[in-house]
Amino acid sequence: MDWQALTLSLKLAFATLLILLPSGLWLARWLARTRSRARTWIEAAVVLPLVLPPTVLGYYLLVSLGGQSPIGRWASDTLGVGLTFNFLGLLIASVVFNIPFMVQPIQRSFEAIPHNLIEASVVSGLSTWATFWRVELPLAWPGVLSALVLTFVHTLGEFGVVLMMGGNIPGETRTIAIAIYDRVQAFDLSGANRMSLLLLVFSVLAIVVSLVASGRFAPASRTRQRP
Amino acid sequence: MSLHVTIDQTQPMRLAGSFACAPGQLVALVGPSGAGKTSLLRAMAGLMKPQNARICVGSACWCDTAQGLFVPPQQRNVGLVFQDYALMPHMNALDNVALPLRGPERLHRAREMLRRVGLSPEQMQRRPAQLSGGQQQRVAVARALVREPAVLLLDEPFSAVDQMNRQTLYALLAELREDIAVPMVLVTHDLNEARLLADELVVMAEGVVLQQGRADAIHRAPRNARVADIVGIANRFDGVWLGADANSPPGTGWLRWGSGDAALHLPVNDKGRIEPGQSVAWVVPGEGLRLCETPTPGAVNAALGGGLSLPAQVVSLRHLGDVWLLRLQCVDGPQARFQIMLTGPQLRPLVPGQWLQLCIDLSMVHIMPIKTGSGALVSAR
Repeated sequence: MDWQALTLSLKLAFATLLILLPSGLWLARWLARTRSRARTWIEAAVVLPLVLPPTVLGYYLLVSLGGQSPIGRWASDTLGVGLTFNFLGLLIASVVFNIPFMVQPIQRSFEAIPHNLIEASVVSGLSTWATFWRVELPLAWPGVLSALVLTFVHTLGEFGVVLMMGGNIPGETRTIAIAIYDRVQAFDLSGANRMSLLLLVFSVLAIVVSLVASGRFAPASRTRQRP
Repeated sequence: MSLHVTIDQTQPMRLAGSFACAPGQLVALVGPSGAGKTSLLRAMAGLMKPQNARICVGSACWCDTAQGLFVPPQQRNVGLVFQDYALMPHMNALDNVALPLRGPERLHRAREMLRRVGLSPEQMQRRPAQLSGGQQQRVAVARALVREPAVLLLDEPFSAVDQMNRQTLYALLAELREDIAVPMVLVTHDLNEARLLADELVVMAEGVVLQQGRADAIHRAPRNARVADIVGIANRFDGVWLGADANSPPGTGWLRWGSGDAALHLPVNDKGRIEPGQSVAWVVPGEGLRLCETPTPGAVNAALGGGLSLPAQVVSLRHLGDVWLLRLQCVDGPQARFQIMLTGPQLRPLVPGQWLQLCIDLSMVHIMPIKTGSGALVSAR
């Protein structure tokens, strides 16, 4: 078991959630409510990382953020940091490829909130902010939870984009998925096995949590309601 | 403080007219679906921003487009009961009612309000899905009233509950009304409900306010044929207004009913609002119709002195409890079908085909223009 890789993966997953949760919530709610014509285009852009091959996404990120690119040069000149082959580059890639996993479930659950509940809240005197905290967020909570879980597990398991953007630097960019590949390459199947099993358990747990959250996996006593 | 609403917009839908509602008064917006009743209510609540409107409660205005004023719904303090209640599914009844309240007393006040509408302490802890339709409705009413709103708005609040519950809820609303000293506006498509609960009706069609008044006043004198249709006046006929001449009794003019040889000229009240020669609709309320003696088949007595008696044949008789609904067909003169409610001593066995004499009190006949005019903006009290 490569504990360093596991720790790095967990660190990456939590950092991704920290960045994507507030921005994803905001974008998802905007997409669910807006009547803007830009909506279709933005929705398409949100889905893009889902359909793009990870290596392609990784390639474009590498090209646009690398040392030769304007963004990369600007970052190294003004901030003094590189955006590729380090943890920061990994984080940027992770945030980008997780956008659909964060935004889509939250958007669906915001869309499912009956509009008259929002109106009832507003007529009851609650501000937009209070309506969000007391009505929208509690009702969208299953979607938010499922988005968090999906994003978390997806980050742990991502391989292609990470390899393209981060390479394989121990303690800096070697995530658990890369470490598994590494172990197999080195014919250390028992090491690969342990780490793969861990990711499998994480994934199954994620599915259970997201099913429970969406109410489809609820125990019988919870679904039965008084007439 | 009375509520005054004047609205005039064409987009996104036509909405025009004005009406008023005094404190403690309940006004019902009635009309067919798509008449704009709910839209008008939403404009009052601030959920819709009208093109041109003035909505004021007393001296405080919520919307005055001429001044560029639009108070957001949060600051209007309206109580709104939604058609499907719009209760928060993730909160129990108590938290739903406490939603509009602030401060340490909020749960106490919410509990008190729920008790008044008849919920037990155990029911207060349940979520909406665990309450019956009638109980949900009570919670919705409690939430609308708990903040002591400046105006109470009810959007078809009884449409989703069954008949039995509806009667109890009518009683509840009637009881609560005693303590509510604010204007109340009820949207309903059910005329009986409107007559039962409301002090006044506001009749709407195609987004336009056609008439405001007490239900009996509208029935006696509908503004136009469209109003007569909407409030369901059974005895409505077409004719031509001829106006007054030397032979017409003072204060009356001639109404020609029917055509050719069968036409009758009836002396009816002349309010001077209709040009002679114009096609009109005329109505006579139930009080203006009765069965009189001596059936004489074949003879039409267009009598003076405010009465007309017509021979008529029974078409059908329906027993509606204490009231019998009698349909009569006039054969001589203009072919017309009348509908009369028989009660008390008037009840007697009648068979279809039987001849009767129908007496019409011409002083109760009301004539009105057929087309719905643009004069609809003025409210008739």
